[in-house]
Amino acid sequence: MTIQWWQILLLTLYAGFAFYDGNNTTFGTVKPTMAGFFAGLVLGDVKTGLIVGGTLNLLVLGIGNFGGASIPDYMTGSLLGTVFAITSGQGAEFGVTLAIPIGLLMIQLDILARFSNTFFQHRAEKLVEEGKFDAAAKMNLLGLIPQSLSRMLPVFLAVVFGSAFVELVVNNLPMWLMNGLKTAGGILPSLGIAILLRYLPVSKNITYLILGFFLAAYLKVPVLGAALVGLALAVLSYQRAVDEQPAQAAAAAVNAGGDMGDE
Amino acid sequence: MSKENKVVMTKEGKKVFWRWYFLGGCGWNYEKMQGLGYYFSMLPMIKKHQNPDDQKKLAKTELQFFNTNNTMAPIIMGVDCAIQDETGADSADTIAALKTGMMGPLAGIGDTLFHVIPSTIIGSIASYMALEGSPLALILWILFGLFRAFCMKNFFNLGYKEGARIVSEIGNRLKKITQAANILGITVIGALIPSVVSAKFAYEFSWGEVSISIQQLADQIMPSLAPTLVVFFAYWMLGRKKMNSTRVTLLLVVVGILAYNLKIFA
Repeated sequence: MTIQWWQILLLTLYAGFAFYDGNNTTFGTVKPTMAGFFAGLVLGDVKTGLIVGGTLNLLVLGIGNFGGASIPDYMTGSLLGTVFAITSGQGAEFGVTLAIPIGLLMIQLDILARFSNTFFQHRAEKLVEEGKFDAAAKMNLLGLIPQSLSRMLPVFLAVVFGSAFVELVVNNLPMWLMNGLKTAGGILPSLGIAILLRYLPVSKNITYLILGFFLAAYLKVPVLGAALVGLALAVLSYQRAVDEQPAQAAAAAVNAGGDMGDE
Repeated sequence: MSKENKVVMTKEGKKVFWRWYFLGGCGWNYEKMQGLGYYFSMLPMIKKHQNPDDQKKLAKTELQFFNTNNTMAPIIMGVDCAIQDETGADSADTIAALKTGMMGPLAGIGDTLFHVIPSTIIGSIASYMALEGSPLALILWILFGLFRAFCMKNFFNLGYKEGARIVSEIGNRLKKITQAANILGITVIGALIPSVVSAKFAYEFSWGEVSISIQQLADQIMPSLAPTLVVFFAYWMLGRKKMNSTRVTLLLVVVGILAYNLKIFA
């Protein structure tokens, strides 16, 4: 299928908004699943979008750009992966394998955007020195331009000019590689899980990891059902911690005024 | 969290909060990180002071390096507003010290509680349901966005009302919630391994007429053995020196291609 101008417009606007939302209001538009769903909706194939987005989302489950670390941008990857999966008719797995290099390349553009904003910071410092407080505050808003352009421009260019390239790839990709990439797409979600296992205090809570695995692997409970069991246990643990509080509060009162313990 | 006496938030204070909520992250840069956004948000408070010298002194303070979790930042901004209302521009040094002192501990708690854990739980459920073809769970993100906005507003009011001592109090409370949320998160991760990682052994032994598939053998040992091994492999690789998530991504792609072509995985 060929892509219409209004579809290009919507996808480009979405990319800009999602990045803004991710840094400010946080309504999930920057999540790959949402981006894939949106692209699927715009192009009339929601299912493909959901699979592309869902697979990519699993790669970056708990990752955040804490302290300004740049992370693979699978929002953009998911938008473009879904578009190419649908326009080329090659299916969701193909979209995922295209999206991964896109998401990794986007790291560079993310760095560039954050770097450009340093210029606005300097301008603001100069303006404050001159007593122009409102003008200095506007510099913050100007920061939106490099940020959103870093997402909108690649999406626009890739959607407009990318399909010829994608066609080239499709026509020249050997079968062994195509199928190998499908297998790779299946095992990639393990990365997102592994990152979380490294980040969260797993050794202290290994019981729950085993329990979750048991529920899904042996009893075939869907993830949402396992989450409910997890929720019940979490509430139990919280209640216990609150019950223990009186004893702790008494101890804390002795050295009151102390600052928060860093761990 | 609320006590009997209500907060009387000034007009400027309210503006500060919404400026941060909607636009605080726009000016993020490598040098001062959230400093520009923080200054932008505090502008109504700065302009409240009459003396231009006071304004400049405060403006410079607010434009300094600042970096914390953006959901938790309103606590600090609330404290900042309260101090400015009480002691005016003389407090610039106090404010600078408070900002730097509070941003670290709040960043740690906030990143875990408002980013990693919700991203894990909602992300897992949304991705899993998306792979099954349903977009329904995406609504959880929107609900979380509303919940987060509600928390931020309360954090801001708390900071304004209680001042700096709120940080240790709220820190203790949030630690308990974090521990409980970790339990939920880790249970979900356990369930994710067999649900979303797909790997099946392809190899088949055959002696004459008898053939045994490795997958059948594996199923007898443990369901989802192959996905579990793959997760262990990724976990192990991540812990190695010179490895990061980008390199492990590429490595897994190579492993996938090889495993298919060597007939290890289907």
